[in-house]
Amino acid sequence: MANPLRAEVVRLYKNLLYLGREYPKGGEYFRARLRAAFSKNRCVQEPEKIRELISRGEFVARELEALYYLRKYRAMKKRYYEE
Amino acid sequence: MAARVLQQCARTLARPSLRLSSGNLAFRAAVAPAAAIHRPLSFAADSRRTRWVGQSRIPSVGVLCRQYGDLPPLTIETIKDRVMYVLKLYDKINPEKLQTASHFMKDLGLDSLDQVEIIMAMEDEFGFEIPDAEAEKLMTPEDIVQYIADKKDVYE
Repeated sequence: MANPLRAEVVRLYKNLLYLGREYPKGGEYFRARLRAAFSKNRCVQEPEKIRELISRGEFVARELEALYYLRKYRAMKKRYYEE
Repeated sequence: MAARVLQQCARTLARPSLRLSSGNLAFRAAVAPAAAIHRPLSFAADSRRTRWVGQSRIPSVGVLCRQYGDLPPLTIETIKDRVMYVLKLYDKINPEKLQTASHFMKDLGLDSLDQVEIIMAMEDEFGFEIPDAEAEKLMTPEDIVQYIADKKDVYE
């Protein structure tokens, strides 16, 4: 509870949940996977390990953003060019 | 010469629009009573707003002048109803066990991630953001109602 990294983790979870709403397979699917990923590491105690996991989560968030950009430009390309 | 032509143009432009607007007024006057009859009916279908319809029917102009961003006024009761409604829809909460004083973790068996999701649902429902520092203190439906009432300046 008193872990200073807790707020960080909660923020990451919230952020990922917001991003996951747009997930191509559906927000519900993403939420289940996200929860599984978080609860898998619930017993991790060492601060370095937690930091490492948080940075991995942030990496996933960036990847998600990139995925959405790609999807957006693909959709635009499809509409403007016939191929 | 040019000025005269311009004046002529302006006059011809102004006339039809004048006629149009007066016709519009008459049309609106004819339609208004019909609209007034229709509105409450369509709202009555929406069960969450019935309380509000009951209040606004008293002043006769109130219904006609409704603005787009208008919402039913918040009271402690409506906040509580909406909070409980959102909580009942959350899949991990058993609606029968849910009380206003039940603790999310101790009584309902949720974990901290569920609590974050609940707070996010509340943010969506009430349309404002709850900072993380405050959010982690909101552990019962009662707390949430009190917090939202404070933020929205609602008092009993």
